[in-house]
Amino acid sequence: MHPFEYAAPETLDDALSLLREHGDEAKVLSGGQSLIPILHYRLARPRVVIDINALPLGDIAVRDGRIGIGALVRYHRLEESAELARHCPVLAEAARLIGNVRVRTLGTLGGSLAHADPAAELPAVMTALDARLGVASASGRRTVAARDFFTGPLTTVLAADEVVTGVEVPAMSAHGWAVEELSRRAGDFAIVAVVALIGLDRRGHVDDARVAFGGVGDRPVHAGAAEDALRGREPTAEVLARAAQAARDTLAPPTDAFVSGAYRRHVAGVLCRRALTRAVERARR
Amino acid sequence: MTDAVATREGLRVVGQPIVRHDARDKVAAATAYAADWAMPGMLHGVVLRSPYPSARIVRLDTAKAEAMPGVAVVLTAKDVPRNTLSTDVPGQTTAVGPLRATLHVLAEERVRHQGEPVALLAAETLEQAHAALEAIEVEYDEMRGVFSPDEALASGAPAVHGSGNLLAQWRIARGDVAAAFRDAAVVVEGEYATQMVDAAYLEPESGVAWIDSDGVITIRLSTQVIEHFRDVAEVLQVPQNRVRVIGTYLGGGFGGKEDVTVEAYLGLLALKTGRPVKMVWTRHESLLSRAKRHPYRLRYRTGANARGEIIAQQIELLADAGAYAYLSALVLLYSTVTAAGPYRSPAVEVNARVAYTNNPPTSAMRGFGAMQTVFAYESQMDRVARALGIDPVTIRRLNALRRGDMLPVGQVIETHVAIPELAERAWAALGPPATPRSAQLRVGRGLACNLQPYGRIVWLHDWASAWLGFEMDGSLVVRCGCPDVGGGQASSLCQIAAEVLGVSLARISVHVSDSALTPLAGTTTASRQLYMSGNAVLKTAHELRAQLLGVAATILGVDADTLDMNDDHVVTADGRTLPMSRLLSECARASVPRSHLGVYHAPAGEPVDLARGSGKVFPDYTFGAHAAEVEVDIETGVVRVLRFAAAHDVGRAINPQSVEGQIQGGAVQGLGYGLMEEVVLEHGINLTTSFATYLIPTAADVPDVRAVVVESGEGLGPFNARGIGEPPIGPPAAAIANAIEHATGVRITRLPITAERVARGLGLLD
Amino acid sequence: MIARLVLNGRPREVDVRPNQTLLELLRDTLGIFDVKEGCDEGVCGVCTVLLDGRPASSCLVLAAGLRGRAVLTLRGLERDGGLHPLQEAFIRHGAVQCGFCTPGMLLTTLAFLEREPHPDREAIRAALEGNLCRCTGYTKIVDAVEAYVRAHD
Repeated sequence: MHPFEYAAPETLDDALSLLREHGDEAKVLSGGQSLIPILHYRLARPRVVIDINALPLGDIAVRDGRIGIGALVRYHRLEESAELARHCPVLAEAARLIGNVRVRTLGTLGGSLAHADPAAELPAVMTALDARLGVASASGRRTVAARDFFTGPLTTVLAADEVVTGVEVPAMSAHGWAVEELSRRAGDFAIVAVVALIGLDRRGHVDDARVAFGGVGDRPVHAGAAEDALRGREPTAEVLARAAQAARDTLAPPTDAFVSGAYRRHVAGVLCRRALTRAVERARR
Repeated sequence: MTDAVATREGLRVVGQPIVRHDARDKVAAATAYAADWAMPGMLHGVVLRSPYPSARIVRLDTAKAEAMPGVAVVLTAKDVPRNTLSTDVPGQTTAVGPLRATLHVLAEERVRHQGEPVALLAAETLEQAHAALEAIEVEYDEMRGVFSPDEALASGAPAVHGSGNLLAQWRIARGDVAAAFRDAAVVVEGEYATQMVDAAYLEPESGVAWIDSDGVITIRLSTQVIEHFRDVAEVLQVPQNRVRVIGTYLGGGFGGKEDVTVEAYLGLLALKTGRPVKMVWTRHESLLSRAKRHPYRLRYRTGANARGEIIAQQIELLADAGAYAYLSALVLLYSTVTAAGPYRSPAVEVNARVAYTNNPPTSAMRGFGAMQTVFAYESQMDRVARALGIDPVTIRRLNALRRGDMLPVGQVIETHVAIPELAERAWAALGPPATPRSAQLRVGRGLACNLQPYGRIVWLHDWASAWLGFEMDGSLVVRCGCPDVGGGQASSLCQIAAEVLGVSLARISVHVSDSALTPLAGTTTASRQLYMSGNAVLKTAHELRAQLLGVAATILGVDADTLDMNDDHVVTADGRTLPMSRLLSECARASVPRSHLGVYHAPAGEPVDLARGSGKVFPDYTFGAHAAEVEVDIETGVVRVLRFAAAHDVGRAINPQSVEGQIQGGAVQGLGYGLMEEVVLEHGINLTTSFATYLIPTAADVPDVRAVVVESGEGLGPFNARGIGEPPIGPPAAAIANAIEHATGVRITRLPITAERVARGLGLLD
Repeated sequence: MIARLVLNGRPREVDVRPNQTLLELLRDTLGIFDVKEGCDEGVCGVCTVLLDGRPASSCLVLAAGLRGRAVLTLRGLERDGGLHPLQEAFIRHGAVQCGFCTPGMLLTTLAFLEREPHPDREAIRAALEGNLCRCTGYTKIVDAVEAYVRAHD
């Protein structure tokens, strides 16, 4: 790696003033599972690395039907937390799919969201959940909807002096959920990922649907068309298939050297139908 | 998991699944690999590589780099005493004839592939070395390049080297192919494409060099060929006896460490600085610039009669040599000789060509050209079977070569061909068929057989030597130049010595892979090492045994040929024993040496004219059959391998556990080739230079491999063993393709078999 | 900078560069070759250590950021100079060929078995998905782990 200065602030305020001072000459280090490979490959050369692992951003708290998850919560905690299993099990299912066991030891929720890999699971989950991201800088705090947060490949609305402090998601223990993913090999990045949550009313009709895709564009895609095609309806196989098709038809995924856009689009439709089917099954239980 | 059927014949050690001596060190991380080595005053060496696939070097200025902190030396082509490396046949001392295989150590005015080395430097720390590397100023003038063999061979194509881009051509013509096709009941035509892949050993290329107290340039590195000390001496223009290569236990080789890798750079830097130098390639560097497996286009036209017997094969092969020849001509020869597979083919025509391009160079890799052809000939065999309604096992049994049959190249098969038995047993080892777990899944089975040469081409006059010597206390030392790539090469030598000399394994120490201190045994490649160094140790052990038993016979008052050596003793027919230590004292008194240096010469032959001659090319072949059961998701094209069995006739399994391990490991490497591995190039730019993009199978991607070990007792290696290093990598891709067709009716003809390719075949993207 | 860690049970303070990884600290500064360098991106697993009992890629950890955490490498498993029974199982079942992946496989397996002591073969494979092996094809590694699990039931 190239030489850099290293700072390890102990308070959020210290971290934010360092970020204010160094701006785009600094990179924030949390889990390191994305940043350190970038430094090894010399794809970025920050003058300063600000290690935020000592900050008190590692809590999971449930209050008033909402769950607050700190930015430094590691993937393995998302997998193993009893509270999340009860109140937001889709997070646990998604976290299990991330990378390999070593990535899950150190990788953080905040890091995944700030890094904004279009194929990553957590940005897609937060998009589906309509999560609210807490963002802080030396100038103050703000909240950004996940659905507005990701603006392009590896790009977000974060300014150079801002960090994600945590997310707030609704507690949806009555919803059914599912994450479906297809990758080229076990533990590899997803070619396509789908996150679906379904809430059913007393008649068994869909009264809440949240669907998002990863891997089909330059950012997570909120599948509003699928949600519209589901709301108020009885979730029969035909309805789910048509909703998946509606979602698929809005997609124009890119072609790269490894996978064609046409294949991604086709798989997105198939996985969406499967995710909706599983989510409905779970909602009915 | 093994079904070894060994005829023991009173063997005590050979044939036992003994624990390898190197396993104990490796589980404790006590093995010092090439990068696990530091010396006082050691510098760190790095290579500057071209970012362009085809360019002229207009300006190269190292002045700024030389002035950087910690830099000891910066070298370019003009600083290399002899800036040429020749790839003859590695390790051989006999003249082979020109293969047109030369390259520069550091580029002169041109670079011909992305990653070609341009400059070299050493600095006190790795960090300083990388900083200095970036200070080297290079101006390139990009030139038009060619990026496929078709493009390279088209008229008007820019020449990669001085003359035309056709590097080598081989041709076999036997029988009347045209007439045979007229008589055929079914003719199947297919065009197949295999991809470029990387050896992807977990241990990158690494080494440390220093100059010892006698001025010998010593290079300790991870290599399959210690004979490269000669190449380094040539480059440095020093006498060959002033360069020593110490080969470490490799963290994988697979052919990727067969050519010169870091040793020339290390030798140069050590010589120029007078200090120890370490060089370890990054994964990125290794994936970018190390020589790869030749991609092939394979066009097959196969004719069979109504009974299913193959009567005609017309085969056209086109391979990509990349920017430098390396071993391409030989790889192509292996493909040519094996193109028709392990089957009788009365009329065969093979036209094989390999062309230069500005892609990364291609060279040796496990299978060495005999692997790519398996995908084609086994896909063809299955399609013929399907066209005639014959099952996969029966058609192979029908067509398999038999002892006395002739390969298209004119070589008569002299040993047992176990193909029918292997096919049946591999197929049976799959067990009862799986039922699909849900509505969108289909299950299918496929079979693929292969032949892989073992031992070097006979007209290369291969040889290997070994030294065995007893210490006074009866413990034994084995010295052999054989590099150990992790397949138990060194351990097998101990087993053989133990068998012949009756020494317990715990009392044998083995030294391998040191060009100054161990008798040379040639390369650990070509599935030749058990055959060659194994036979060398066997022969030496027998000669030493005769030497010692002559003395023992006198002491014991019996004929020498009634004596046995067992359990560290000499034993008479009537049960009297003489401890080895006593015998050895007697030998010392009688001035009879307690050690012996032996040389094994492989039976040699004269070069054949492939198109006309009938002659031996390879000493022998190892035959195999693999069977796969797959599950295909017909909505996404995703393929899961449910079960896999791999059967090989190994002649005799010296260490059955090692043999199973080779079969299982080779089969999984073959599954990677079949399902996911690919070096992706775009106009010569490599897009797969990290393990995040170059994918090799994980434990979750493959099932258990059921290794079926058959021992025919016929093979040219020690105790009738055959080579097993390469054969298992050949069949898996074809077995998978055949299984997918069985499951879905879709025939995939390009590798790797990605989910997208299967989806397209299923019509999902129409 | 000072890196603070508890290495194989012993508290250590070592001078490090800001950009020095835990892998480089172990190999280059401390001469501990239990961990290898394979890819510098956390994919291959040969640099695996246990960080507070969980597998981590030491090539992706900055040494300066350790803050007193516990790091376990292979030699930390030694019992009275002898091998751990899992190491013995690997030897016995032929699970070691070139050996480069072996230390990472062993540590990852032990951490996994702490959490799931009775896995079947499929679960073992899933647990080892992040440790690449190019030589064995994985079957004998799974055999060795399965045998160890049975022996310690």
